[in-house]
Amino acid sequence: MNSLVQRFDTNNALSEIKRTSAIIEEDGDNVSDLMWGSYGGFGNLATGIPKFNIPAVPDPSAFLRLHTDDHTDPSCRIKIQHGTTTLAFRFKGGVIVAVDSRATAGSYIASGTVKKVIEINPYLLGTMAGGAADCQYWETYLGIQCRLHELRNKERISVAAASKYLSNLVYSYKGMGLSMGTMICGWDKTGPQVYYVDSDGTRLKGDLFSVGSGSTFAYGVLDQGHHWDLSDEDAQELGRRSIYAAGHRDAFSGNTINLYHVKEDGWKFIGNYDVSKMHYEGPGDIPGAPGHGYGYSIRTAGKSSADPPTS
Amino acid sequence: MAAAATVYNPVGFDFSNQIRNNFLADRGIPLPKATSTGTTIVGCLFKDGIVLGADTRATEGEIVADKNCEKIHYITESIRCCGAGTAADTEFTTAMISSNMELHALSTGRKPRVVTAMTMLKQYLFRYQGHVGAALVLGGVDATGPHLFTIHPHGSTDKLPYVTMGSGSLAAMAVFEAQWKPSMTREEALDLVNAAISAGIFNDLGSGSNVDACVITATKTDMLRNFVKPNERVTKERTYGFRRGTTAFTKEEIRNLVVHEEIIGVRDDAMDVDGS
Amino acid sequence: MPQTRSFDPYTENGGTILAIAGQDFSVIAGDTRQSEGYSIQTRYAPKVFRLTDRAVLAVNGFAADGNMFVKKVKQRLEWYRHAHAKDMPLRAIARLIQTMLYAKRFFPYYVYNILGGIEEDGTGAVYSFDPVGSYEREACRAAGAAQSLVQPFLDNQIYFKNQVPAPGTTHPAYLSLPDVLSIVIDSFTSATERHIEVGDGLEIYIVFAKTRDLQDFETIRAKNVHLIQELTVAEDGERIFVLRRDLKKD
Repeated sequence: MNSLVQRFDTNNALSEIKRTSAIIEEDGDNVSDLMWGSYGGFGNLATGIPKFNIPAVPDPSAFLRLHTDDHTDPSCRIKIQHGTTTLAFRFKGGVIVAVDSRATAGSYIASGTVKKVIEINPYLLGTMAGGAADCQYWETYLGIQCRLHELRNKERISVAAASKYLSNLVYSYKGMGLSMGTMICGWDKTGPQVYYVDSDGTRLKGDLFSVGSGSTFAYGVLDQGHHWDLSDEDAQELGRRSIYAAGHRDAFSGNTINLYHVKEDGWKFIGNYDVSKMHYEGPGDIPGAPGHGYGYSIRTAGKSSADPPTS
Repeated sequence: MAAAATVYNPVGFDFSNQIRNNFLADRGIPLPKATSTGTTIVGCLFKDGIVLGADTRATEGEIVADKNCEKIHYITESIRCCGAGTAADTEFTTAMISSNMELHALSTGRKPRVVTAMTMLKQYLFRYQGHVGAALVLGGVDATGPHLFTIHPHGSTDKLPYVTMGSGSLAAMAVFEAQWKPSMTREEALDLVNAAISAGIFNDLGSGSNVDACVITATKTDMLRNFVKPNERVTKERTYGFRRGTTAFTKEEIRNLVVHEEIIGVRDDAMDVDGS
Repeated sequence: MPQTRSFDPYTENGGTILAIAGQDFSVIAGDTRQSEGYSIQTRYAPKVFRLTDRAVLAVNGFAADGNMFVKKVKQRLEWYRHAHAKDMPLRAIARLIQTMLYAKRFFPYYVYNILGGIEEDGTGAVYSFDPVGSYEREACRAAGAAQSLVQPFLDNQIYFKNQVPAPGTTHPAYLSLPDVLSIVIDSFTSATERHIEVGDGLEIYIVFAKTRDLQDFETIRAKNVHLIQELTVAEDGERIFVLRRDLKKD
């Protein structure tokens, strides 16, 4: 009875092993994931999955934390750049993705021009929050896997599947010290989608997310302004305004705002806006703009008893 | 720690922030770095007296805070003291001993002696168990002859013909050990001190800039400030001037600080000022 | 907190590197002092290396990791050269460096890299990396001990931050070679004044695009004839020159 079950059962360990070895052999000419990049030319020397060097100490993740975690020890030697306020929300016109562009290494502003939206392919976007290298590297890898999926299945990958690829991948590194909080946004057969994926292995489908140290500030503006029937311009303005709020108040966010809009035919880059310019002058003469600066003192100049109108 | 505030502090150090600072340090907020002189200081005995030498760099961690500070402090007319370690500690300790030496000289009616300064310094530093971070080279000429001492932050002293202190002390001592000889002339002694301080300046990152020297003999004391300047800055490649109007501003408000008054006389005769 | 005191493989060797991209040239510079604590290990340890005729890599942080990393990058470039019969383009080298750094994500190279050179389209480019591989193309970047002294100066002089242009004009999009070289030299002499770990010597690598006319460089070369060395052989491709100068040794 047992052997019959074992032979025909598709869920046990043995059949799992058989299936995976079938896939590996299926790939025919031993082309592995390492054949991308400049391992090309190594020929048969490149095999297997990317290997990561681990130090030969009793507790490797503690070793990594000791040298790189600046949350617990601000004077740690290796300062890894962290990214900071990102948001994405769904509405009737698609998905709006807005991010800031500041990267900090400890308390030093390492860069004010970081691209925190990673263009996985022309219809999928991924955002970057947490460790910049982790997001950049794994989202590029995700782009490759999405393309391979397209080639194997003659069909674009769904956002659910793409986000699952990523979340399963980082789950296999759970506890090792990766730091990543990303949103995979796209428009597939079932409509606009936003999935939140993080390095703990969480994967959540939702209408509205904000990730990063400035996310609480962004949520404040986003939650009060969001509803499904926003027009395209109003939605873009909401995204811009929310990142401005975070950039203004959070020390680790700021510099510039990058705004993207994902529609049925793919994503479109709307623009790059400097946060201080938004404070004083606003976004200028574009559809959806309020016509004045976003800063509180700018908007309320001449309207209170502390600063009466000069009549 | 009493809440009753009085502006008159009792004598000695004020430890009232100690508990709060320990609490903050435990929470991960360390004490701010004190300016330390890094430093190379030396002293050497020659035929007619003492030559003291020092570099002129003051550092705050790895940043140079002062490129030309004075490390040879005045104790009395013929006694000087070089200081290494925490800059504030060396400044205030030497100033305090200098003041006490003057009072002592007035009280005894005699020219002050180097051992007196040395004893005052060591007893003071020992009392603070090394927390006063002052490492000193004390030298001078008094009625009993020339003397050179070194005093460590915990209060120990050494009496020697040639001494070095500070982070560059090993580099300087290497030069002394190779070239010091008894009964040198003034020129030979100054050259040796220059070589020793330069060894510290070029080989130790905590020392740099210029060499200061001080020659003390029975008859006079010569303070040779910046006696050698081996590290002058090169002229910059460009001048970086900014045109007026380079800085952005959002609001302009002009206030006249000069008040123009026009005095209109009410009466013909001048004001009666001196009451006569 | 976990303490693995018995294995502490990292140390800091000081020094500073910087790179500036021009319209059709790129300048990559680094001082030559290698120190540990308050001692100088050597007055001449180069931190800037030529990878190909159009790419130069500057490394800073932990010198042992930096030197080994450069060696490994050069080995990968040689593999590529043999496999593809051409040099790797600059943006591909940048991506390669990302993957090599990320491969050591759990035992990082303690190195801050700056890659400079000429892109395939003939423009100057600078790519800067963090120790685990996050990278970005920029117009200028300073890294190392004195980065917080030099980067703000570069932000002001290259990006013209906090400067309002004269009314009716705009800031130039690109700076000329003599201006860029002056800014580089002044950055290092100033960093040397105020940072104890910077000094001894300065090496500036200048990479020129194929099509560039070298007239303005020839005037600089004439003034500094014994300080400039050419590293490229061919006269019709990209050219790399090294300019060496002294810095204060105290």
